[in-house]
Amino acid sequence: MTDETLETPLVANRQESFGMRLLRRMEPVLWVMASLSIFVGFWEFAWWRGWANPLLLPPPHIFLANLPDQFRFFDPGGTRAGALATGGSIFSVLGVIAWSSLRVTVGLALGFLLSLAIGIGIRYFRIFGNLVLPLVTMLAPISPVAWLPVAVFIFGIGNPPAIFLVFIAIFFIMTLATLSQIDNVPVHYIQLARIMGCNKRQIYRHVILPAILPELFVTLRMNLFAAWMVVLIAEAVGVGSGLGQVTMMARNTFNASLVFFTMTLIGLTGFAFDQTLRYVQRKVLWWVGPSNVGGL
Amino acid sequence: MTLGLKITNVSKTWNPDGADPVPAVRNLTLDVALGEFVVLLGPSGCGKSSLLYIVAGLEDATEGSVTFDGLEVTEPSPERSLIFQEASLYPWSTVQDNITFGLKIAGQSPKKQEEAAERLLRLVGLVGAGERRPHELSGGMRQRAALARALAMEPKVLLMDEPFAALDVQTRARMQGHLLNIWESSKASVLLVTHSIDEALALADRVVVFTARPGQIKAEIPITAPRPRDMRSPEMIELARQCEALLGEEVEKSFKEQELT
Ligand SMILES: Nc1ncnc2c1ncn2[C@@H]1O[C@H](COP(=O)(O)OP(=O)(O)OP(=O)(O)O)[C@@H](O)[C@H]1O
Ligand SMILES: [Mg+2]
Repeated sequence: MTDETLETPLVANRQESFGMRLLRRMEPVLWVMASLSIFVGFWEFAWWRGWANPLLLPPPHIFLANLPDQFRFFDPGGTRAGALATGGSIFSVLGVIAWSSLRVTVGLALGFLLSLAIGIGIRYFRIFGNLVLPLVTMLAPISPVAWLPVAVFIFGIGNPPAIFLVFIAIFFIMTLATLSQIDNVPVHYIQLARIMGCNKRQIYRHVILPAILPELFVTLRMNLFAAWMVVLIAEAVGVGSGLGQVTMMARNTFNASLVFFTMTLIGLTGFAFDQTLRYVQRKVLWWVGPSNVGGL
Repeated sequence: MTLGLKITNVSKTWNPDGADPVPAVRNLTLDVALGEFVVLLGPSGCGKSSLLYIVAGLEDATEGSVTFDGLEVTEPSPERSLIFQEASLYPWSTVQDNITFGLKIAGQSPKKQEEAAERLLRLVGLVGAGERRPHELSGGMRQRAALARALAMEPKVLLMDEPFAALDVQTRARMQGHLLNIWESSKASVLLVTHSIDEALALADRVVVFTARPGQIKAEIPITAPRPRDMRSPEMIELARQCEALLGEEVEKSFKEQELT
């Protein structure tokens, strides 16, 4: 017995011209540009009408005008003195971005893996769960900023406190999200596994884990920006390098141009991170229907 | 020792200690012989699914016992496979991996799994769909994949909970014919739940009509006509009329009860 529906190819033959295809590929990019243009347009207009003081609110064409001048303030090693840093090239700017990105990435990865492990542990081992869950629930509402002094007490300055703060910013939320995801695995999935002869360990490994990963990844993406905010605070206060430190220095030296330039970099980097996570999500967690991934 | 499935004086109450206990099945006795095709017909909410879950070993009976080939049923087993109304394939696996899931858990070699998948895909008419993902299949194809997954474990009883309820009439008729072919070649017993009188008459050796909740057996109707059956034959029309009358009374009762509560 065959099924006629099998004969139809999954993807309809697309017979489009190259130009059309290119336009379609570019469409998201065009929308991003349009979105940005509106914002920049308002700002420039406000400057042109004299509503925005160029010293306090310099519009993009001013703070993007003299890039080498801005680059001077970037030093991957981090100098708190400011103005006369050793940096100066595009590479030092990229270096600063890379340091901040690295702290976020490591913190996110640690937070994701550990919250997954602890969340599963809480449900898998009853006694462990009873002991740990109240603690997690009590620590969850504490703002990462409140952890800042603790981070400095424990880790001093440098990378570890910044990574620790990113970790803290997502760990408790992600642990609770893991629990709620585990509890919401369709009961049929688990009943089926039991019928097929799975023991508890096999149910967790073959059913619960793949069932909860996609949603957890979405949760991770939604907490990405919180992680970025936290790392900037940590860098401004306790690390002494990175985008947060540059912003702080710009503030202290009353350099509005530099403030906005750095904010631009932060925005772009955050955007790139989100896009990367989206891409990873699509590639690795394909079993969430394409519509789901597209939506969030 | 009796071969086959033996359900003796089974009662099931949900939330027995809670404020609002729900008696779903009461004092039910039913035997399903080896290779027999039994269809359960009853009004909505009368405890048919509850009974299947108990037979599958997913839930414990509050009272009574279920034995299979003389052994007490205490936990789920691949030899009593349950097929749900929704196919519930694992969305993260391909169709083939879904079908061989039980074999993988049983520790069979990849080569054997591969062979089994090929045979089963042919059996249920899904040749070429092995690498697809569940969300790319139609409802009927999904249900066939779920059937193949159950058959992979060579079950002695197939428990089917309204397996075709979500399908359109044409697909449904084809699936029924298909199920009969597979049943005849596999020699497994089948215990199938349905709302549809036509489906019951097309498939069953014996139709068991349930009362409204708590489910008890109201009537058993053996059907001896050879398959495939002509639903328009006088014999079948008479049987259908009979089932309709029995079922109608119970549906009436369960509606009355719902109005009261
Ligand atoms: N897990 C459960 N916990 C509590 N009550 C339940 C549970 N499952 C079923 N029930 C109750 O038991 C009764 C019988 O339910 P069951 O699902 O067995 O009926 P059914 O005959 O399969 O109905 P339908 O034809 O609508 O599927 C219902 O009143 C239902 O609310
Ligand atoms: Mg049911």
